[in-house]
Amino acid sequence: MTIILTAFLFAVVLGALLALIIGFAAKAFAVETDPRIETVTDMLPGANCGGCGFAGCADFAKAIVEKGNAPTQCPVASPEDAERIAEYMGMKAEKKEKVVAVVKCSGCASTTVRSPYNGVGDCRSAVVVAGGAKGCDYGCIGFASCARACPFDAIEIRDGLAVVHPDLCVGCGKCVDTCPKNLIELVPASVDVHIYCNSPEKGALKRKVCQTACIGCRKCAKAADSEDQIHIKGFLLAVNYDNPPLPDLVEKAGCPTSALRLASKHAAGDYEKK
Amino acid sequence: MANEILTITIGAILVNNFVLSKFLGICPFLGVSKKIKTALGMSGAVVFVMTLASLVTALIYKFVLSRTFMIGGTAINLTFLKILVFIVVIASLVQLVEIILQKFSPPLYQALGIFLPLITTNCAVLGAAELNVQAGRGVIESTVFGLCSALGFSLALILFSSLREKLDLAQVPVPLQGTAIGLITAGILAMVFMGFSGLV
Amino acid sequence: MSDKPRKFKGGVHPNDSKALTASKAVQDAPLLDSYTVIVHQNIGAPPEIVVKKGDAVKKGDLLAKAAGFVSVPLHAPTSGTVKLIDKCAGPTCTMVPSIEIAADGEDAWGECMEPIADWQNTDPGVLKQRVADAGIVGMGGAGFPSHVKLSPPAGKKIDTLILNGAECEPYLTADHRLMLEETEKVVLGAAILARILGLKSAVIGVENNKPDAIEALQKVAGKYNVTVQGLRVNYPQGAEKQLIYALTGREVPIGGLPMDAGCVVQNVASAAAVADAVLDGRPLIERITTVTGEPLVNPGNWRFRLGTPVSKALELCGGIRVQPAKLLLGGPMMGFAQNSLDVTVMKNTSGILLIPVETASQYTSEPCIRCGRCVEACPMDILPATISQAVENERFDWAAQLNVMACIECGSCSYICPSHRPLNQQFKRAKAEIAAAKRKQAK
Repeated sequence: MTIILTAFLFAVVLGALLALIIGFAAKAFAVETDPRIETVTDMLPGANCGGCGFAGCADFAKAIVEKGNAPTQCPVASPEDAERIAEYMGMKAEKKEKVVAVVKCSGCASTTVRSPYNGVGDCRSAVVVAGGAKGCDYGCIGFASCARACPFDAIEIRDGLAVVHPDLCVGCGKCVDTCPKNLIELVPASVDVHIYCNSPEKGALKRKVCQTACIGCRKCAKAADSEDQIHIKGFLLAVNYDNPPLPDLVEKAGCPTSALRLASKHAAGDYEKK
Repeated sequence: MANEILTITIGAILVNNFVLSKFLGICPFLGVSKKIKTALGMSGAVVFVMTLASLVTALIYKFVLSRTFMIGGTAINLTFLKILVFIVVIASLVQLVEIILQKFSPPLYQALGIFLPLITTNCAVLGAAELNVQAGRGVIESTVFGLCSALGFSLALILFSSLREKLDLAQVPVPLQGTAIGLITAGILAMVFMGFSGLV
Repeated sequence: MSDKPRKFKGGVHPNDSKALTASKAVQDAPLLDSYTVIVHQNIGAPPEIVVKKGDAVKKGDLLAKAAGFVSVPLHAPTSGTVKLIDKCAGPTCTMVPSIEIAADGEDAWGECMEPIADWQNTDPGVLKQRVADAGIVGMGGAGFPSHVKLSPPAGKKIDTLILNGAECEPYLTADHRLMLEETEKVVLGAAILARILGLKSAVIGVENNKPDAIEALQKVAGKYNVTVQGLRVNYPQGAEKQLIYALTGREVPIGGLPMDAGCVVQNVASAAAVADAVLDGRPLIERITTVTGEPLVNPGNWRFRLGTPVSKALELCGGIRVQPAKLLLGGPMMGFAQNSLDVTVMKNTSGILLIPVETASQYTSEPCIRCGRCVEACPMDILPATISQAVENERFDWAAQLNVMACIECGSCSYICPSHRPLNQQFKRAKAEIAAAKRKQAK
């Protein structure tokens, strides 16, 4: 009995002593952390993709709580998620439109390869040495640097051409930074019509190296509902994303090289020549 | 005295290295060795905890637990409380380290993550205390043993993390990537340290 | 300067293959119907075009004027009309601006610059301006404007002029034939360049695999206070920094230029062009090029005008016997593979080379086995294997720490690697990424 009592007392005394020391230390070395940071971190999608421009979701949460950054800066968060965070933080929720990436090139290997390439199988490496195997100086090299950079596996390389799947893309912009030809653009997700060409060369020259290049015939510009729906820059035409044409333009215009395409159909492979 | 201290030092750091000879403390050895910076931070924490833990537990053992008291006519011996007391002391020390680290180096605190409180359950720390009791060392020798074991642990951890940083950059075959090649390397490192046997 | 050339660290010994053309005298290419001259033929700013479609030009007339200091003018290779100002296939597989001249068959010189017979007493500044006006660049392959090399900034004392007659690349014999057939011109060029730099002497370095050239030069060199030094046969002996070390024992500091070691290096062909410009008032419109390779029927050394298409060059050599693996402009170590036969001869086209299938490296690359041969071979004393690892892991900061910017892209490491790793390409990429990151930071 005595031994149990002694042991118990000893343990209590030791515990109390240590507790005192730790308690004192906890007070003396206390760290102020805003508990909201953890809550906001949990509310964010947690992909840690860096699309917001910060190191990770926790870092971005810190910026939201301490500096008042808008939750819509996160490209992966759905509008509902962003609204929830804004509500929790007592911020005004702003509506940001979803953007997706589009690779402005339609030159697949079957129509554009000029000479075999034997080197490092990476676009940024190929561009310092002859620019890859294709004939067009401005087109997609097709060695999948963008596909590898995409944290959401939204880019597929089909027949040597990078194709973005708009339904998988969240618009984080990692591919835009990776492409050495600056071919990839972030565009509003609501626009489905694009002109898949990036070369400003003369139409005849383009035609020699690529079967699906935009030759600058302007049929699409003429068939558009209003004049400024298509930008014309010499032999290269582009969709005006502030006033985009409707999807039916593809049928109406009758693009001779099918450089004018619907993103959804392009992703599904509908334009591939059988 | 000096001779003994020297023997303990070389023995604990090289010959009977806690991680590579005794295989204690493998959890942080594998878990915190991805980057040299984190490994250095962890080493610092472990040195602090192990040295103090060895000192405090040696003191408590010498003056309380090993003695037999006469209380109310009965001879009381509290040696059976050894493990409990040791763990409580170690846990408190780890808690102290956590508090201090969170205050003075938040990035290291984040980087160590769960492995910091896990020092409590690190068999190396408790092992050092236990081994001191088993070997019947005095207070000063126990502290030296604790310090040197921790230094040996740090040595192994830093060596291993340097190797792992390099392995990260190499083209490891797919079946061996990650922990697998890490463990193989650790095994080879352990074999290397076997070369020290017979030094003391 | 000691008599024995020093051995620089590293280097490789690829098969010489110069026997294909070493003994073949230079032939003048016949006049063509048209020449498509590439506008940007130099390191630095491209010259500004001053002619327009339809203009009549005489041989040697200005087609484009220098745009700034680090730029050179471009001159017409023959007389005729400016047919088209457009784009043509360029040497790095991209379309580049070009001027097409339709030849009128007369091949008449226009108003040349005034010949300077008494160059020994002419102001060096005037001579240097002549070098600039003649559009002379480094004809060994780099294409750096020669007059810029001859204008070291104040504070950089130059005490040695070196002429690069090493021609260390396999297959190439253009400089060799030049030194044999126009020996006096080369030495005169050296003397003129020495005068521009305010020096009393110059040294011509020639690899020991060209004993006849060394002998020929030595006969004439004494007259102009020029010495000839034989060099060990070791690729890349002709690289500036290695050449300077072999001849003077000085090391160019990392990130530095030859002028930091008190030296100026010029190619022998550039020196000959300087002699032409000063003594005859002729601008640079043609050069000797070695057209070679086992797949060719009749390899040889040709004097081509600027703007001669490669297809024509191959035709002059009797066409191909067997399908080659690659066509390179330059030598096999540092030359650029081409994807079009329409690319034309430029001021720095030292060779047109067809590589046979048996010797072209079409291997798939394998992992690094840490053999260390690349480290042994590297003439710049950096670590190709480790830098390759850094590049593979996209750690360009680490690659920069490992001094990848010191790489001269000689290709020795790629050549010697038993795993056939594309080291040279990886380093080209690393340098591009580091330069891009620096530009981004500077913004």
